[in-house]
Amino acid sequence: MSVSNETLMAYADGEVDAATRAIVETAMRDDPEIRRRVEEHRALRETMQGAFSEVLAAPVPQRLIDAARGHDAARAGNVVDLGYVRRAAGYAPRRLSSWRPIAMAASVLLGVALGYLGWHGSNTWVTTNSSGELLAGAGLAEALSNQLSQERSPGLVAITGLSYRSKTGDFCRTFSLAGAHASSGLACREGDAWKIRVLAQTAPAPNSSNFRPAASGVAPAVRAAVEESIDGEPLDRAGEIAARNKGWAATPGR
Amino acid sequence: MSTNEGTETIQEQIVALLPRLRRFARNLVRTPHDADDMVQIAVERALLHLDQWHSDARLDSWLFKILRNAWIDEVRSRGRRAKLFMPEEAGEHVGEASMEREIDRLSVEAALGRLPHDQRLAVSLVLVEGLAYKDAADVLDVPIGTLTSRLARGRDALAAMLRPREGNPS
Repeated sequence: MSVSNETLMAYADGEVDAATRAIVETAMRDDPEIRRRVEEHRALRETMQGAFSEVLAAPVPQRLIDAARGHDAARAGNVVDLGYVRRAAGYAPRRLSSWRPIAMAASVLLGVALGYLGWHGSNTWVTTNSSGELLAGAGLAEALSNQLSQERSPGLVAITGLSYRSKTGDFCRTFSLAGAHASSGLACREGDAWKIRVLAQTAPAPNSSNFRPAASGVAPAVRAAVEESIDGEPLDRAGEIAARNKGWAATPGR
Repeated sequence: MSTNEGTETIQEQIVALLPRLRRFARNLVRTPHDADDMVQIAVERALLHLDQWHSDARLDSWLFKILRNAWIDEVRSRGRRAKLFMPEEAGEHVGEASMEREIDRLSVEAALGRLPHDQRLAVSLVLVEGLAYKDAADVLDVPIGTLTSRLARGRDALAAMLRPREGNPS
């Protein structure tokens, strides 16, 4: 009797039903070659179970533990309150369908932003409107409205990263802030304000010798939000200039 | 999920799964730091979409699936991100070279790394992570027959690569 290699493999993996198991076991009794092949499958399975085992034993980076607990990746103090996300769902129903994926990421920013507001006592970088939504303060808004991406000059606190059109037609831009509360974020132009969708603190270097920020200083939460919301490709330089000339006004869907 | 308590429970379950997520990510991305970045992105996405997880489904395979999908997105957008997200890192990607170095000392991982991508994931999910065929097929979004044929081919190739060169009995 011939039993296919895939059947022998499935037997070795415990993936066959009782009838097939009986057939394989009969064949194993009758044919040492079949027995040998089943043993080979089992041996390989045992070998592969040990693959990358050092990763299992290694300490998990704190940033991953923080991410799993919904904390800001950088600092454990910025606790995400999932209840906030649900309240936020009622709070901005118009945006719910498109922005829901990053609603939680947006909530991550609360602790950071409150830190800004509290620490600085000014609204240069982050402020809120009367509904409590986070907006770019005057300094950040100035950069978002006027600076082209990747422009750097000495003393510049706000650097714009990339610009794109979101699935809802709004223009959005990533940015990073330098200084004591270094952070990166995502803001989208709505009406005449830049609403901050995500703001994540850039991790301070706990062991600065081997620390390297994830993906060149753009927090994973920001990257994830961009991936979730981007429509097509980011703007190139000409696209940014064209959008800037129109005041970053939303364009209708294609 | 109706309570914060439930959310916290799931978050702690995700924390417990982090070592396995990191291990699986090593099959997708070669450098450990980039693999951890993928894990972080996947975990953040999972928390955003907790409402899509049904508690009768395995949390580990759900997370593996999110991780794999995040990686696919990563590959698709690699071109634009290479330009825009990681300008400073553009010259740092020496995956091939570091992989060659590891072949000298990590034969199992190196053999796995030499498999075609589809076979590598099938082997990784079933043999390394211990998922049932149907769960692995679900993670990879393929019919179970496709999963088993990838797994069989991957195993054959691995067995050939790992077979002792001298006549050790095995």
